[in-house]
Amino acid sequence: MSLTEYRVLPGPESYLPPAAASMGVVLPDKGSALVEGGIVLKEEAMEKIVDKLLTAKNPVFFPGPLVLWAWKEGVAEKAKAIKEMAEAVGAKIIPMPDYRPKYPMINPAIEINPNHPNLTIWHNKIDACIFVGVHCHYANVALKMIRGGTDCYTMALCSEAGHEDAMISLRDFRIEDLYTMTEMIKKRKGEGK
Amino acid sequence: MKKDIFQISPGFEDIMPAEYRDLIDNGPFEKNVGVSDLGSFKELLEEHPLCAGCGLALSLRLILASLPNPEDTIIVGSTGCSALAFPQVALHNIHSLFGNQNAVASGLKRALTLRFPDKVKDVVVIAGDGATADIGLDMVLQSWFRQENITTIMLDNEAYANTGGQESGMSPMGTVLNMAPKGKKFPKVSVPELARESGCAYVATVTPAQPKKLGKAVVRGILAARELGPSYIQVFAPCPTNYKFKPNETISKIKLREKEGTYETKEYITAEAQELFARLEEGKK
Amino acid sequence: MIEQRVVEPPQLFEAEKETQFITGSEAVREAIRRANVEMAISYPITPQSESMHLVGDLFAEGYIKEYFRGENEFAVMSSVAGAAMGGVRVFTATGGPGTLRAFEAFSTWAGARLPIVCAFMTRGINSPLTIQPDTIEMAFMLDTGIIMLHAETAQDLHDMILRSFMIAEQTEVHIPVGVFVDGFFVTHTRDKVDIAPADMKLPPYDPYSSPVPVMDMENVPFRQMRDPFVMKSNYVSYSAHASWQQEVMAAAERARKYIHQYLGDLIETEYPDADILLIASGTAVSQSREAMAMARSEGFSVGLVKIKSIRPFPEKEIRELVRNAKAVIVPEFNRVGWLAREIKSVAEDTTKIVAGPRVYGGMTMPPNMIMDEIRRCSI
Repeated sequence: MSLTEYRVLPGPESYLPPAAASMGVVLPDKGSALVEGGIVLKEEAMEKIVDKLLTAKNPVFFPGPLVLWAWKEGVAEKAKAIKEMAEAVGAKIIPMPDYRPKYPMINPAIEINPNHPNLTIWHNKIDACIFVGVHCHYANVALKMIRGGTDCYTMALCSEAGHEDAMISLRDFRIEDLYTMTEMIKKRKGEGK
Repeated sequence: MKKDIFQISPGFEDIMPAEYRDLIDNGPFEKNVGVSDLGSFKELLEEHPLCAGCGLALSLRLILASLPNPEDTIIVGSTGCSALAFPQVALHNIHSLFGNQNAVASGLKRALTLRFPDKVKDVVVIAGDGATADIGLDMVLQSWFRQENITTIMLDNEAYANTGGQESGMSPMGTVLNMAPKGKKFPKVSVPELARESGCAYVATVTPAQPKKLGKAVVRGILAARELGPSYIQVFAPCPTNYKFKPNETISKIKLREKEGTYETKEYITAEAQELFARLEEGKK
Repeated sequence: MIEQRVVEPPQLFEAEKETQFITGSEAVREAIRRANVEMAISYPITPQSESMHLVGDLFAEGYIKEYFRGENEFAVMSSVAGAAMGGVRVFTATGGPGTLRAFEAFSTWAGARLPIVCAFMTRGINSPLTIQPDTIEMAFMLDTGIIMLHAETAQDLHDMILRSFMIAEQTEVHIPVGVFVDGFFVTHTRDKVDIAPADMKLPPYDPYSSPVPVMDMENVPFRQMRDPFVMKSNYVSYSAHASWQQEVMAAAERARKYIHQYLGDLIETEYPDADILLIASGTAVSQSREAMAMARSEGFSVGLVKIKSIRPFPEKEIRELVRNAKAVIVPEFNRVGWLAREIKSVAEDTTKIVAGPRVYGGMTMPPNMIMDEIRRCSI
């Protein structure tokens, strides 16, 4: 596949899928977002996230340590907003409390781990997921593995520069974006869509 | 009140796996617990993959339970069996490379002193005998020469256990191990004496057969490193897998060696450290 | 010490400059003076030592908060790693045998996502011992995962070091930057260097924008090993390690944008449409420029390509340039010709690439050597 044709789509992609960044996918500038490897306006990506969440059979939120632990100012509010958004969707929340490879193994019904994220996706038959509050490095490690081995549609809400390895990713994401998407979800549901 | 990093975000308590809730509710953070309290609090070491009867796993549990300030303790480890347990330790800890632990700890301690001049940040090195007495000995000694404010703890299982039981500098003379097919030709390296001569303020050799003594040494080592300079603690942690004894014999092996006089527990305390401990230990009473 | 104020990077980089006539080592000092570096760790090796002496002077003056001499390069690179994991902006430098003594540390720097900036004053590493200029150590460094910039001049050295902190510390990059410079030729010679006022410095490093947790027990998760063993014998463990390595490579890809932003294109060209292109990095560029001037005065169609970034490598740019040239000459200051290999690995037609001329062991490269190749290619 040539560099320009590479799209970041649900898998199972291959035995060892490449990093999207190595296939020519670039991170968006401020105000933009990534959808399936292409740069779009942030609002468009948010619409698409809402759409994917509402049309999935089993959408799940994966909050990571940066939001699971109220370690700095503003996190508790963000955590609350994440919970409200998940509730609006009717999505389950499965935490990623830390990044250790866990012995003897994780319980995939109740947690996800970046070193073997596929176990949780497979076990719970998750077809769409949201990464939020996961350190960028570990998110990328996990997102590639999910693309390689599952058909899950991955979305990453990133407060830094975003994630090429997710199918949809927002950058510089703030609590207001959660409120906006929750409103969009409620509105869409109210319309019976 | 607990530090914020130990607070689960409100609303997420019910989704957190039980061991994390347990750690927050019953863990050792800001509680002033010690080895005598084991069993009454949630330990920092979660399930780990070390062998049954592993002297190192037991010692590690005791060391972690003894930390005077776990909420502000950062551990630097090294390659070896203990490194398999460290991902499961609920503290910030570093595995960099085999043998460079005291060099990493030197940089880390100085960085943390720069960033948190008004806080106590204990940097504790916990590494095996191969890492400490062989491949990393130069960096261990140099960190002592430089008077780095770090505590160095050796988990001495008298072999390279993780790579399959090879001779280390800490194996007793005569022991037949891999890479010593005719038996080891030289005695255990005298690291405690090296520590004393290299400027450590406090040096102790202890064993998990005497947990309270071990705990006291860990506390003293850390207090000495905080206030005075480097400290060294050597913990005898026999390896049933490579020394081929039963997992339930670990403690009796230690006691036997002590009785034979082939593993001596001792303390070297500088006059300065004596004074410090007298002040601090008196203050506690 | 001059009172310094923090300014935004563009303000520092685009400030009105003063021209100083200084050595390469002094150019390093002036970069570090403005880089808001918190800690530096040193170890002597020729031809690097002078740079870190001068950085030590900055510590004595108060520009740097912590500085010490370590016990050997492996230990220094390990201490630097510890400092970076503790969340400070840290600088060091080495070269030649020191680079190889420390070699194991560099790939862990990249794997651990440490934004360390390290200068490499290159020299020979072979037996018999030599302290003379040679870029062979760069061949070994190519696959460690670190970003590699190659300075031609003292100005490059100054600019690359100062600006590398801004490249290395981007959250999505956050891997080390090695700034390589040919020892002696640049470090020990004087040149004009344009320098921003000394009362400005870069903004401080924010450790909590790191893509991995900082080891300070002040951020989450508190159960965190840098870096955890992914050693179970099963497919997902292997795949986690593979994905981790891919992410480090991806980080270098993401650096392209910031290299562009802070240092311009990854390559610079003069007469890129010429029949014969001289493609080089480091001081081989200066010798090539001399040769190009000679050749052009004799009527040859010769152009020059200076490669500034070796990792990430300007694949597309080089492929394009090689495609359009009739012949490509790659002069190098080392025995193995690593740059020629790199160029061949991206070129469509490798037969037009002349992997040389090369000198080593401290030899200089007379432009005539390159001129001879130009003549041969023109037959």
